[in-house]
Amino acid sequence: MVARIKKLRTGLLALCCLVSLGLGGELALAESAAPSYNYSYWGNAVAAPSAYEATTLITGASSGAGPFNNPQDIQVTADKQIYVLDSGNNRFVILDQDYKSVKTVDAFQFKGKAEKFNNPQGIYVTQQKEVYVADTGNKRIVHLDSSFKAVGIIEAPKSELLQANFEFQPVRVAVDKADRIYVMSAGVFDGFMEFGADGVFKSFIGANRVHVDAVEYFWKSISTKAQREQMVMYTPTEFTNLDINDEGFLYATNGDDYGDPIKKLNAQGADILRREGYYKPSGDLLYSTRSGGAPRLVDIDVSDSEIYAVLDASRGRVFTYNGDGYLLYIFGGIGNRLGEFNTPVAIEHSGDDILVLDQALGEITVFQTTEYGRTLNSAVRSYYNGDEEMASREFSKVVNLNANMEYAYAGIGKAFLRQGEYKESAEYFERSMDRTNYSKAFLLYRKEVLRGHFSTIMTGLIALVALWLGLRMFRKMKARKKVELH
Amino acid sequence: MNREALQHPLYVMVHPFNGYWDLKYERSQKTSLILSFGILFMLILTNVLGEQYSGFLVNLNNPRYLNSLLEAVYVLVPVLFWCVANWSLTTLMDGEGKFVEIFITTCFALLPIVLINFPWIWISNFISAQESSFYYFFKNFAILWSGLLMYVGIMTVHQFSPSKTIGTILLTLLAMAFMAFLTLLFFSLVQQMIAFVSTIYQEIVLRR
Repeated sequence: MVARIKKLRTGLLALCCLVSLGLGGELALAESAAPSYNYSYWGNAVAAPSAYEATTLITGASSGAGPFNNPQDIQVTADKQIYVLDSGNNRFVILDQDYKSVKTVDAFQFKGKAEKFNNPQGIYVTQQKEVYVADTGNKRIVHLDSSFKAVGIIEAPKSELLQANFEFQPVRVAVDKADRIYVMSAGVFDGFMEFGADGVFKSFIGANRVHVDAVEYFWKSISTKAQREQMVMYTPTEFTNLDINDEGFLYATNGDDYGDPIKKLNAQGADILRREGYYKPSGDLLYSTRSGGAPRLVDIDVSDSEIYAVLDASRGRVFTYNGDGYLLYIFGGIGNRLGEFNTPVAIEHSGDDILVLDQALGEITVFQTTEYGRTLNSAVRSYYNGDEEMASREFSKVVNLNANMEYAYAGIGKAFLRQGEYKESAEYFERSMDRTNYSKAFLLYRKEVLRGHFSTIMTGLIALVALWLGLRMFRKMKARKKVELH
Repeated sequence: MNREALQHPLYVMVHPFNGYWDLKYERSQKTSLILSFGILFMLILTNVLGEQYSGFLVNLNNPRYLNSLLEAVYVLVPVLFWCVANWSLTTLMDGEGKFVEIFITTCFALLPIVLINFPWIWISNFISAQESSFYYFFKNFAILWSGLLMYVGIMTVHQFSPSKTIGTILLTLLAMAFMAFLTLLFFSLVQQMIAFVSTIYQEIVLRR
């Protein structure tokens, strides 16, 4: 009896263990409190080590420039100077590497007159440290040289491309190496406004496409012209932000729910962003309306090796992708702790660090890489630079730190492929769910095996055929004998 | 069961008109029924093995969510729905087939899917992405073959004209959809009734 109860108890215990194991094995949900996660090939949110950790909080007061009031944009130069556009105070503040204020600019000289900013929204600093400010309240772009004297001012352009009632409200600005100026203007649906180095308006580039659903199309097609005029006008989605990389490609985010919220535009305005990852780069895949609904991408930042990070304002998260469109890591959030934001508006990188500007709190949060983040960054960089052996070594380290990082297995697989280890290569590609590369590696492996065992296979085949023929002859002979006997 | 009886499904595959005629008028129904269940079982087995062991390049399933019992249901429910819908319709449309005959016909028609798909589970492990088009070709080929057998089978078992058979098949599909709708409705209603009773029970229990 006692033995039976004991048996029952162990059985129950085992069952409980199994059940709790099952619970423990549940995938981390994007909505859960897990601070760091990534999306697997299957679209599930799986826990991941954090790649970045918030280390410093910069406020206007701590930098010595006085409190920021509603700052809208930041820009970091190559020598790690931070330009903070303090919109509420109509100025921009330059911070040095130690996050101390070195200069505050709230007025400039233009044609002998002292001018001021009025609610500026966007700032861009070129490599020569010339500053472009989208002076929204004054409806102009201000171009300052490195000693903050006005070189030129772009007022509302006149062109056939623009409508008569066009209102020039520049909110974001970016400048490429050839000094072409790209302006994002509020209320413009035709894309970015492109200005030449001389400040003359050239054209629009990269308009988003209109999405019309089938039902809407049907109603429009059967309604009269008068009815159509009463209907809601469908206009393309506006861009929300832009950045420019070293090669002069524009990276842009928009509020498109259907299409691609992230775009990389070439000189013709065509979208050339690579989307080879497990799913299209677009921020969170799983979300509920309770936690803010669909991702609302408000800023994008491109760093070296085609790595880019986007900022989602609805959940305060930063998503970083590599040039092929694989999601590398996610961090940040909405909240009150260090590393969480209230209303994030802008993101910038400073070396390997990432800075996020919070508009309502007037703070900049500085994120620094953890060992995991450093390794992953270096792996992606070495792969981008063609150093596959180094990349493979770094990816192996990444896998040791995070076995769920499916993308990393492909990196190891590619190095094996290069070394001629086709079998291992195919195994790693399978783990990374990379079917195209798996097929390549597998074909090579199959060829290798077939070549190695060609004689064995052929001998076996010939032997089989001979055996079959022999059997047939044997049977025939037997049958003939039977006939003869009868 | 003799050797010839076992070979009859294969004969039906390549000579559907004669084969189905024999099936209806010559063969022992008991033997055919056993064979039908055998084919159905093999189809389930093929499906389960295929989901699990097909080559990486053509297997797009998440192995974490595979359920062999559900795979069996995915085979059994459509076959049963098809048979029931076809039987219900053809009794009204002067079909000569009995339910058992319809069932046997249907199962015999599914044999090409088993015979073609089963070896491809293993072959698909040795093909590259370019060669996977062969895999898909043979899968579609198997389905087409089965469809043809099904058509001839229904025609023979009910002694219908070719055009009437097509009409019957289309109507059967419609009836299947209708049945699926009714089943879902039924289950949803039962679920709501259970929820209602359990809520009342909770209210009473918590009142004390």
